[in-house]
Amino acid sequence: MRLIVDGRPIPFEPDDSLLVAMLRNGIHPTGGGCLGPDGDEPHCLTTVDGVSYIRASQIKARPGMIVTTNPIEGYPPLPEDDRQRGAKLVQHHHCDVLVIGQGESGQAEAAAARAADKTVITVDVQNGQEAIGIYPGILVVVRTDDAMLHIHPHEVVVATGAAEILPVCPGNELKGLYTGRMVAQLHGKGFDLGRIVHVGTAPDGVESTAAVGELLRFEPKGVSPVETQNLTSPRSEKTQNLASLPSKKTQNLASLQGDVGAVIMLENGVEVRHECDTVALGLGLIPRNRLYRMGRDWNVRVVGEAARKSDIPPCPKTGTLCPCSSVTVDDMQAVWDRGFHEMELVKRATLAGTGPCQGVACLPHIRAFLQDRGKKLQPPFTARPLARQQTIGEIAAGAYHFSTPRTALDAEHRQLGAQMERISGWWRPWNYGDVAAEYWAVREAVGIGDVSTLGKLIVTGADATEALERVYPTKVATLRPGRSRYVLMLNEAGYIMDDGLISCVSPTHYILSTSSSGVNGFERWLRDWFDTWQLDVRLMNITQTLGAISVSGPFATDLLARAGFEQPLRFMRHREGTVASVNCRVYRLSFTGEIGYELHHPADQSAHLWRELMLLGRDLGIKPFGIEAQSNLRLDKGHIIVGQDTDYDSTPRRVHHEWAVKLEKPYFLGQRAVKRTNKIPLDRQLIGLTMETDGDAPGEGAVILHGDDIAGYVTSTAYSRVLGKAVMLGWAKLVDGALPTDFTINGRPATRTDVPFYDKEGNRARA
Amino acid sequence: MNEFVEAKVDFKWQEPKKTYDVIIIGGGGHGLAAAYFLATRHGITDVAVLERKYIGGGNSGRNTTVIRANYGIPESVRFYKRSVDLYFQLEEETDRWIMHKQKGLVWLAHSEAHVRQEKARAELNTALGAETSYVTPSEIKEICPQIDITGSGQWPVLGGSYHPAGSTARHDRVNWALAEGAMKRGAHIHQRTEVQDLIIENNQIKGVVTNHGKMYANKVLCAVGGHVTSIGDMAGLRLPIRTHPLQAYVTNHYAQSFGPIISSTSLYFYISQTARGEILLGAEIDKQPSYSYRSGYHFLQTCSFRAMTMFPFLRDLRINRQWGGVCDMSADYSPIMSKTEIDGFYITSGWGTWGFKAIPASGESMAALIATDETPDLIAPFSLDRFKRDRTMADRGSAGTH
Ligand SMILES: Cc1cc2nc3c(=O)[nH]c(=O)nc-3n(C[C@H](O)[C@H](O)[C@H](O)COP(=O)(O)OP(=O)(O)OC[C@H]3O[C@@H](n4cnc5c(N)ncnc54)[C@H](O)[C@@H]3O)c2cc1C
Repeated sequence: MRLIVDGRPIPFEPDDSLLVAMLRNGIHPTGGGCLGPDGDEPHCLTTVDGVSYIRASQIKARPGMIVTTNPIEGYPPLPEDDRQRGAKLVQHHHCDVLVIGQGESGQAEAAAARAADKTVITVDVQNGQEAIGIYPGILVVVRTDDAMLHIHPHEVVVATGAAEILPVCPGNELKGLYTGRMVAQLHGKGFDLGRIVHVGTAPDGVESTAAVGELLRFEPKGVSPVETQNLTSPRSEKTQNLASLPSKKTQNLASLQGDVGAVIMLENGVEVRHECDTVALGLGLIPRNRLYRMGRDWNVRVVGEAARKSDIPPCPKTGTLCPCSSVTVDDMQAVWDRGFHEMELVKRATLAGTGPCQGVACLPHIRAFLQDRGKKLQPPFTARPLARQQTIGEIAAGAYHFSTPRTALDAEHRQLGAQMERISGWWRPWNYGDVAAEYWAVREAVGIGDVSTLGKLIVTGADATEALERVYPTKVATLRPGRSRYVLMLNEAGYIMDDGLISCVSPTHYILSTSSSGVNGFERWLRDWFDTWQLDVRLMNITQTLGAISVSGPFATDLLARAGFEQPLRFMRHREGTVASVNCRVYRLSFTGEIGYELHHPADQSAHLWRELMLLGRDLGIKPFGIEAQSNLRLDKGHIIVGQDTDYDSTPRRVHHEWAVKLEKPYFLGQRAVKRTNKIPLDRQLIGLTMETDGDAPGEGAVILHGDDIAGYVTSTAYSRVLGKAVMLGWAKLVDGALPTDFTINGRPATRTDVPFYDKEGNRARA
Repeated sequence: MNEFVEAKVDFKWQEPKKTYDVIIIGGGGHGLAAAYFLATRHGITDVAVLERKYIGGGNSGRNTTVIRANYGIPESVRFYKRSVDLYFQLEEETDRWIMHKQKGLVWLAHSEAHVRQEKARAELNTALGAETSYVTPSEIKEICPQIDITGSGQWPVLGGSYHPAGSTARHDRVNWALAEGAMKRGAHIHQRTEVQDLIIENNQIKGVVTNHGKMYANKVLCAVGGHVTSIGDMAGLRLPIRTHPLQAYVTNHYAQSFGPIISSTSLYFYISQTARGEILLGAEIDKQPSYSYRSGYHFLQTCSFRAMTMFPFLRDLRINRQWGGVCDMSADYSPIMSKTEIDGFYITSGWGTWGFKAIPASGESMAALIATDETPDLIAPFSLDRFKRDRTMADRGSAGTH
């Protein structure tokens, strides 16, 4: 069995981890540094099948695996290709107790929980289940080769054991340095490790010679003691030496390369040299409790070795302390000397602890370093997810794009050649290829448009009138059954959130409509208030249940009559009726300025109704109209679109909608604010503007100048075909308490013009 | 040693005194900048910055460091332009490496409505002096070769706006350069010092109560980021602020090759590569107001998914770390830099998700306000009483973005 490392095939044995396989062939993943079996240290990081930062000790060697060792200088490149990989699945699991780690203490916890009749899930990296974070919920995310597990337990037990402390001293980036556990593992695999010297605790079951005293440094094979001594002289001298040393490489004592040849200890004040081929390091243990620290505010416990106190090694004197970010003890000292004393500041000033091992290598030494300088023992860095790094692709598993819904008429639009666009959160027809024709059909004949996306809410209950009275600035109680009224929705600050229609079916039954994008926010808002007020009222969102078709134009009434809806309906009235055999609630209103109806009907009847209308209107010159034409038509009338023409702080008077607000009402949301601000002189207003042009119009966002001063900017704009000039809505500042009349936009004169621009008396819509 | 080890900044910590001319609550970028500009521009150095944790430990050390000037209203553009300009000179002025780098910033449009929006952004900002141009998909591809302009076939890019001045800087280094500059001139900074109450007599601020006792000053600036409403409470001020969490995350380190800052408003994410080679990703605020700094998985999952739609190469990058901050969102999405109803008590707030770029200009202006008690023109529109006076400053250019 072979795998490829840096282009070279290497053999390995079954059950080898990738790390063991590499070591069998004399390859160290990062060229040197102390290795352990559990992936705690950063020296085992490598690139596997194009994915960088894989812990070689944590994956099994597989035939054909393509491995590249990381560059010694610099970082791996960003992948260039975008090969599609099979997306991972998400699996949800629920249980009473989740035990993370199946060592001795983890097994005991699981057994105890089972004995207590609890449902238990256990995970362990050894079985390919890597817990990567604990989140509010409780949600524990666990990565496996096949799926991302989202586990929802009542209780979490963290039994993830302890990591071995890595050495910080000159030469700690040599090859042949292993933690005690790693030596035991390699020994078990039949490795010939040569002469083993151990520092600290001896490795389990492996013969080795003890090196006692204080660890000073490691020396490479084949380098004379004199040479290395030069490099490891005390700090003050070294700083002087360094000034004369040219390359960064030599400055970095840790970047001694090659195989370890000796351990130098200080024993009773004397340097003692232990020749060796392998060093086994038993420098103490630090709890692997990051998952616990992420979740300790919840029902999360930590047990076993993971719950132990951290050993604190002797204060490091020199050498690389953070291998991920190449930070030396001297770097630490340098920032300490300049006043970086907080743990977080030391970390941020050196970047120690911010690399892929997330501080496992450096943390105990930084704590020792700070303690030695008179600070009390600092807590570990804040534990942030991810506990173990995962690819963006894996993390994204189970996510989907917030859906952009389609109306029941989607197929009709496409068949008619519509350019479909994402508009206000729906796929909607932008136009059907000829905006001018769509526009003129409505102005001169009849057009139909899909307005199914409008928000539709039903409010019922004994207190329905009272509840809505408190919500809307209009007088709801005076709205008689069968009538509709235009309404603004205000927030507590008196700013416009949305606009729409309220239609009374009976005093205990209302139908509310909202803008297409506003319905969800408005529904949440209503529910909040209804709940707060504790009134007898129910709310149902029927936006997606009902389709809605707008029929608009001088022949609209004729068309409906042809479709069987004969009794005329007056402006702003509604009633149930049949149109082309479809049960509809028909509303008489107008957004385009022409006679208009909205036919609300069960969405499964939409296609039928639409086709019938198209057929019946053929000789009337009927055309479907898209959003582009609709937007131009409404602009002729100066109707605002909330969100486009309004801002977060638009009050009714700022957009000339005082008429929609009945301040004399006893109460409505936002009333206090509106009353208060109404007393203050206005500063700016949304105004209508017209400009003589040859068929064009300034762009949205165009700056409106009054003289040389910026008055505001354009929010809606179009060339009005019926008026033969550009019409716009835009913001303008008042000058000395009055709105100026003459403005300049893009160097061309524009005149303030009262809206509606077209059919000021509104006779066409009421006809 | 890595090249990013801070090599110059030298803090001179002092023992606290009982009385100062000015006390600044909050050792984030805004508090530190106020101290820095008080010292450098007004010679006022009897100043203490009180920080409950360590300096720059709040949002100023947690943000995604986007610096830009293309906002939505003239008053904002003028203000942020001043800040962008100050950033360009901050390195030289402080003689400290803040890793300021001009990158260019693109907003992607994925629909006809957004195309119009980006065209409007370009038109308005260019007119207001923050150069922004409309760019086509192929121009975007040139600016950022890694983008999949089809959005994985689902979210095609129809166009966008490009703001060449868009830059980043290393947040910590900005905070430190300002802190050091203030300290060097005599200002005090006291870490682990939490303000727990205000001392107010006859509507005049007199000092603060901290976990280390009382400290007195006749001028106090509140610059506590997302915690502003709790300090407002102490003064009996109800502020038009809600605090929302905002999250971000980085991958491991990769060789430099992702040049610009790219945002998608339809897909709610933005991306850049840090000086150290991490890919940095962020999104919109959490909808629910909260003071929680806790990271969420849903954010990580959805943001990753959306970002991958536009940048399929991200798939195999490994995420290193995620974190969150708490943002002070004002009712009109514009900042508040102001005197208050309490004499001698000032606030700088409402920095929401976009206040890192504002640090120098806010510091400069607040220092002038505190020193002279005259509101500089640049910040006059951003006074606290604008809400009462109905002179709000709604700015679509800032809402919910970096
Ligand atoms: C994830 C994220 C991404 C962001 N991205 C960007 C971006 O790309 N561009 C941009 O311009 N902005 C961005 N921002 C916003 C920006 O970070 C903030 O607006 C800015 O840092 C605010 O600075 P500040 O000094 O007001 O607050 P902070 O930096 O939060 O400082 C406030 C300080 O006050 C301290 N404090 C609080 N209460 C007390 C007390 N009682 N006593 C003493 N001290 C106290 C806190 O500990 C804190 O250190 C982002 C924010 C987040 C969270």
